[in-house]
Amino acid sequence: MNMPDFIYILPLFFVGVGAISLMILSTFKTITIKKGSVITLLFLLFAFFANVYNLNNEDGVYSIYPFVDIFNKMIIVDTFSGYFSTILILGAILTILIGLHYFQKHKGFTVEFFSLFLFSVFGMMLLVHSNELISAFVSLEIASISLYVMIGFEKVIDKRIEASYRYLVLGSLAGLFFLLGTSFIYAATQTTTLGEIGNMALNTVDSNTPLLIIGGTMILITFLFKIAAFPFQNWALDVYDGAPLPVTAYIAATFKAAIFGFILRLVVVDFDLIIDVWDKILVYIIIFTLAYGSFLAIIQKSLKRMLVASSIVHTGYLLIAFVSISVIGESAASSIIFYLVAYFLSALGAFGLIAYISSADQLRITYDDFRGFAKIRPYMAAMLSIFMLSLAGIPSTIGFIGKFYIFTGAIESGHSILAVVGIIATFISVYYYFKLIAVMYFYRSSEMTDVPPLQGIAPLIIGVIALFIIWGGVGNTLIAYFPGVDFLIDMAKSSYESLFLYG
Amino acid sequence: MDFGILSVIIFLPMFVAFSMLILPVGAKGTRNAAFLTAIIIFILVCMVYYNFQLSGYMQFREHHRWISTYGINYSLGIDGFSLIILMLIATLIPSAYLWLWDGRTKGYWVSMLLIQTGITGTLFSQDLILFYFFWEGMLLPVFMIIGMFGTGNRVFSTIKITVYTIMGSLFMLISILYLGVAFFYEFGSWSFALNDIVQITTLSRTEELWLFAGFMIAFAIKIPLFPFHTWLLETYSNSPTGGVFLLSSIMAKLGVYGIVRFVMPIFPDLYKEFAPYFVWIGIFGLIYFGIAALMQTNIKKMFAYSSASHLGFIVTGIFTLNVYGMTGAAFLIIAHAMATGGLFLLVGKMEYNLGIKAIPALGGIAKKAPVFTVFFGIMLLCIVGLPGTNGFVSEFLIILGTFGFSPSAGVVSALTVLIAASFMFWMFQRAILADNGNDVSQMKDLNFKEIVGMLPLAFLIIAMGVYPDWFFYKIEPTIQHYLVDILEIRNY
Repeated sequence: MNMPDFIYILPLFFVGVGAISLMILSTFKTITIKKGSVITLLFLLFAFFANVYNLNNEDGVYSIYPFVDIFNKMIIVDTFSGYFSTILILGAILTILIGLHYFQKHKGFTVEFFSLFLFSVFGMMLLVHSNELISAFVSLEIASISLYVMIGFEKVIDKRIEASYRYLVLGSLAGLFFLLGTSFIYAATQTTTLGEIGNMALNTVDSNTPLLIIGGTMILITFLFKIAAFPFQNWALDVYDGAPLPVTAYIAATFKAAIFGFILRLVVVDFDLIIDVWDKILVYIIIFTLAYGSFLAIIQKSLKRMLVASSIVHTGYLLIAFVSISVIGESAASSIIFYLVAYFLSALGAFGLIAYISSADQLRITYDDFRGFAKIRPYMAAMLSIFMLSLAGIPSTIGFIGKFYIFTGAIESGHSILAVVGIIATFISVYYYFKLIAVMYFYRSSEMTDVPPLQGIAPLIIGVIALFIIWGGVGNTLIAYFPGVDFLIDMAKSSYESLFLYG
Repeated sequence: MDFGILSVIIFLPMFVAFSMLILPVGAKGTRNAAFLTAIIIFILVCMVYYNFQLSGYMQFREHHRWISTYGINYSLGIDGFSLIILMLIATLIPSAYLWLWDGRTKGYWVSMLLIQTGITGTLFSQDLILFYFFWEGMLLPVFMIIGMFGTGNRVFSTIKITVYTIMGSLFMLISILYLGVAFFYEFGSWSFALNDIVQITTLSRTEELWLFAGFMIAFAIKIPLFPFHTWLLETYSNSPTGGVFLLSSIMAKLGVYGIVRFVMPIFPDLYKEFAPYFVWIGIFGLIYFGIAALMQTNIKKMFAYSSASHLGFIVTGIFTLNVYGMTGAAFLIIAHAMATGGLFLLVGKMEYNLGIKAIPALGGIAKKAPVFTVFFGIMLLCIVGLPGTNGFVSEFLIILGTFGFSPSAGVVSALTVLIAASFMFWMFQRAILADNGNDVSQMKDLNFKEIVGMLPLAFLIIAMGVYPDWFFYKIEPTIQHYLVDILEIRNY
């Protein structure tokens, strides 16, 4: 066995083995939810450290095909995938830690849930490691199918089942587009491996170009569906709303990062040929995504639905950077990566805190339920405010820096109009995010419902996330050796560079 | 000063605010800490003033790398124009604290401290992104203080001012980013430093116009300049005393400061080209808000409009493109801040004692509270521009500058000063002096702390009116630098 190669896929290995062993362990009565989550965390931590080891191992940027003789370039391990895997594993760890209270309080959850959870993490990590369309499809489906089940896991609640089915049917349909697109691309270029598609496309006759464009567009459709961009956003509100809150946080923050991870690789490595065609379509898609998402977010009364609707708006921001890739590859790609981290932290914190607050009952759901919340739980209110400020992109939070990169990139690539539209959407978002802060601080509470006090691991983790959001917004190079904004950007840049090592 | 005195001035209040939030200190302890902070900052600012060299260039520079990938730096500095506003802040805030001494909660003091950090940070920033940081950051504590401690429909007011201001500043953000990108394309490296941005030459006229508009809208909303004033009335009348004090006397001035600091050097040609329009917009605001003030029956609302009216005059001053108008504007910034700030504090006390009442329901306060009336009268005479107060010096200079700019504008501006005199005296007579038989027995005269708080303001109003030269000499080189080096006007 080739040892160094094995070390490279060690993170994947840990998560996969963890998923299978939890499946076996779940048959034992003695394994409670708590034990199950601890085991999950252990495997994720192993994977995390293995991953960090890989990232630090090389001096600088690296890119390797592990086990070439077996996988034949289907899987790639580079700085890019390492960086995304870090985000994904971190997202999984945080989801478990934040959701633990929720999982324990709610009856429906069993240890199998954690097995499925690890399978979904495995699928997402495999997706960002994929260097080939078929394996990307397989890993996408591993992740998606696990998510379908996780959404409907609390069988007693009808809303969950409905959300699960809706996502299953529509998600599978979107998956079919991916397969169809793959076959078109194969017809045009006789390969499904990234890096070769582009080369073949350049060398083959022009009559194949339409095939390539159609195939690529179909893959784009799947992509737009999964990230809930216009006009494929309709499922998102009901599915996210129907899912248990920690799962919603997980889909909105982590899954989105995985999808972007793969599509970035696809576009940057191979699709510069057809991105010109997409550019024009995408501009309209972005404008509609932002407009429709903002509209949806304004009219919501439920906090969870507002956050979900606003996640559509954030998808729009990410797409702004996405269209800039063809002009300013490096800074656009790294601004996407940075924004993903920024959104991931803020959304995970917000969803997680609301999950924690509403874990005992389902009382605190709408804006009005949060009246006078700052009086009852000042620290939680402060944390929730920080997340709202970051989502709205107010300076001194990481959300502002993220938006700064996105809009600068848009102007730099000549899409000033998109920057203006994005700014208007940001402006509207101030309304629905500040509304929560206003409700929490400016009203007296009508009745005191039982809010769980600050105890246990979940609030601690959420507090750390809140601090990191502030640190990411103001942190500078004054404190050496502590990763700040610059570190995140440099990391994003070097992961972008790693995409071209086998160019 | 190599220990970063400007940074200390910026971040000391914030540090104290967060320490107070975390430590189990009550409202009293927080207040004492806040007051001590304000005094320390006053001393530090005096040191800055003493060491300030007579030149028009930036001094006390501080420079640290911040987000190096995009060339964003933590870069501070002050010149004569910032210096006078800084002196103003340092003098006003301890006075205000003495007035707000009793009955305020911990959250109130924390918000006040945070606002102070935002204000001074905005004033020192020499990097556009850093400036934007403080400019927006300043808004949050204002949002909180109005929402939590305001009166009337406070939640609506606070959302309104927040949304309004953020809209303006987001357009400014787009302009800033555009300038940064233009710099990158011209020079090949990223920078948002003001000194670098002014070197951009590649912008077309259309681009410049849009960017100019982006900046001007943000500042016009903050000032507020006609027609961006619709947030003004509700915010001023529903804010708590401390909030409205800071809003009217300091934060509104930062809009003017922003125009001078950023718009003038970045777009000198457009600044000169559009100067006539802004002179007239300022004069129009002076008249429009003056008439609006005349109509009000609520004193706080009247002062809100009178404040806007004077800010219109300040804007006229900075666009006259000569040394009289600009010096006058700088002077009026101080005069107006002291007088209006003092008046809002006095009216806040009156409301606290008597409840919110219309002008006809008042009267006879002079008999009940003589010291109150004396201070009220001094502030009022300063607003009106009576010789012997700094209000006179500044208004005279601006009118002189306006004459130099265009005689017709000069005549109109000279005449409109009468409007302020009429509404102020009319109000003073009805609300304070005349005994209409209304019940004002709840009104208390000033206590010792309040007198101590009001004395420096009254003293400065008169001292600056009698010996204006004491205060001119620090700012004059700066104004000359603006006119000669930046706007390239020879015969000012």
